[in-house]
Amino acid sequence: MRSALVISVASGLFLAIAALNGAIGPGSFGAPGGAQAAETAQKPAAKPVAAKPGDPAAVDYLRAQWNPIHFKPAIDKATDADCLGCHQEIGKAKPRDASPAGVKAADTQAWYQTLDTYEGAQADFHWRHISSPFAKQVMNLSCTFCHQGNDPREESPHVTATDGKGAIQTAWERNEPPFTLRKMVNPSETCLRCHGAFPATSMGLEGKWHELREGMESPDAPNGCLTCHADQFRLVRHQVNYLRPDAIEKLAAAGSSDTCFGCHGGRAWYRISYPYPRHDWKDMPTEIPDWAKDRPKQSDARFLTKTK
Amino acid sequence: MANTVDKAKIKEAAQAKKRETYVPVVPDMQLGFIHNNVDCIGCRACEIACKDKNGLPPGPRFRRVQYVEGGTYPEVYAYKINMSCNHCAEPACLPTCPTGAIFKRQKDGIVDIDSTLCIGCRRCEAACPFGAPQYNPELNIVQKCNMCVDEIDAGRKPYCVMGCMMRVLDIGPIDKLRDGTHETKARAPHESIVRQVKNMADPELTNPSIVFVAHSKGRVK
Repeated sequence: MRSALVISVASGLFLAIAALNGAIGPGSFGAPGGAQAAETAQKPAAKPVAAKPGDPAAVDYLRAQWNPIHFKPAIDKATDADCLGCHQEIGKAKPRDASPAGVKAADTQAWYQTLDTYEGAQADFHWRHISSPFAKQVMNLSCTFCHQGNDPREESPHVTATDGKGAIQTAWERNEPPFTLRKMVNPSETCLRCHGAFPATSMGLEGKWHELREGMESPDAPNGCLTCHADQFRLVRHQVNYLRPDAIEKLAAAGSSDTCFGCHGGRAWYRISYPYPRHDWKDMPTEIPDWAKDRPKQSDARFLTKTK
Repeated sequence: MANTVDKAKIKEAAQAKKRETYVPVVPDMQLGFIHNNVDCIGCRACEIACKDKNGLPPGPRFRRVQYVEGGTYPEVYAYKINMSCNHCAEPACLPTCPTGAIFKRQKDGIVDIDSTLCIGCRRCEAACPFGAPQYNPELNIVQKCNMCVDEIDAGRKPYCVMGCMMRVLDIGPIDKLRDGTHETKARAPHESIVRQVKNMADPELTNPSIVFVAHSKGRVK
C-alpha cells in the first residue's frame, strides 16, 4: 500500500517537475534543463560567455548558471579571469569587524594567525589561499584547481555534470567525482591535500608532531622536518604545477617548520591523510610500508610540471 | 567578563598551542539522522519546516533535498538524498572557528553554531565536506542546522523530522541507527543501512552522524 502510494505520488511529482522545467525552468532562458542539460554539458552548444569585468550585473543570474563554462569540458579551459569576470565578489569578501554580539575580529585569533607564515588581520578564505603573500610564494592555485564544475539545479554531479549516460566526468586520477553532494568541490581531492591528518607513526615516530618537533628543532635549525628530510630522506617532492617547489624548499630551509607544517598536518581538519603519490627517490627502501601501499608513483597528469 | 589582561593571556596560550590539532569532544551519546533515499518523495516539507523554524531568507538552506535522476531509457532512475548538518563525530568546522562560535554538545553530540559570535570569515563553510554551514550574505555571518536543540531539549524531534509526511527522515542515537536496533519508521526491517551514498564526500573525513537507506543506483561499491 505504502509502496503504491509512494510510486503514485513520486510519479506525479516527477511529471509535474518535468513539466515545470519545460515551462518555467532553465529551458525558458534559452539554456539547457533536465536531460537536455546533461547532453549540452557534454557538448556545449554555445561558446562560454566572455568575461565582462565590471559588468556582472548585466548577466542574467539564472541564465549564467547554465553557461557551459560551469560544465566540462569548458571549465577545464577556464582561466581565473574568466571566472572572476562574474564572480568578482570573491575578491571583495572579508570578515566582519565584529560579530552581531560584539566580539571584535581583532580580539580573536584564527589558527593561521598563530603561524610564522602569516601576518595581518583575519581575511577571507579565497584571498588567503590565492592572493596572500605566503600563498603567492609557495602556491600557484587557480579557481579550477578546486572548482571542477557545478550543478545549478541539485548540487549533485549525478544530474547535469555528467556525460548524459550517468557516467561522471572527472579530472581526478582516482576517479573521484568532480564535486560532491552539496559541496562545490571534492574535498578528498582538494582540501585534503593540505588539511589531512599527518600521522607521525607513518615516519616510524611515536607521538604527535607538535610534541616530537621540540626535540628536533633549535634556534640554529628551526625547521625540524629538515632534520631528516634534508639529506637522509631526500624525497622527490612538490613537483606539481599548483605548487612552487623551489620557493618551498628555500623557505623551508630558511624558516620554521610552519612552512612544512602548513600543509603537512598543521591544520588537519580531517581524520584521514591524503594518499600522496610516492615518487621514487635515491636510496628508497624496496619494502613499501602498509600505509603507502597502492599509492600512485606520480601525480595527476594535469598537475605534472613541464620538466617531468 | 574577560578583561584586557585575560585576552592577552588567551592570545599567548593560543600562540603556544599553534601547532597542535584539537581534541574532539566525545559525547555521552551521539544523535544522528537517518534518511530513506528510496521512499522519499522529495516534497521538501522538511526544507520548508526548517526555513520556517529558523526564519531563513531565500538563499540559505540548512536542509537540502537533492533530486538525483539519471540513466537512459528504458533504464532510468530517480531518488532523493536529504542532508543537513551531519553533526560529525570529528567536525571539521569546529577547529576552524576563530571566535569559538562553534561547539559540540557533550550530552548528545549536536554541533551548534552561535551565530551571534560569528564574524563571517567562512572558514567553517570551506572546511565542511558536506556543505552544511550556510552563508547569509545579508548579515555576513554563517548559520547552520543545530538539530533544533530547543526541541531536543524539550523531548521532541526536530522540525524537519516532524514535517516529514512520509516518515523517511528521523533521528536517533547514531550507533543504534547504524546497527539497525533503533526503532524508526524510516527503515523497514528488510532494508539495510549505509553511511555513504554515491557522490557524497568521504565519511572518513569527519565521521558524519548520518545513515541512509540507499537506492540501488546510489550505492557505493
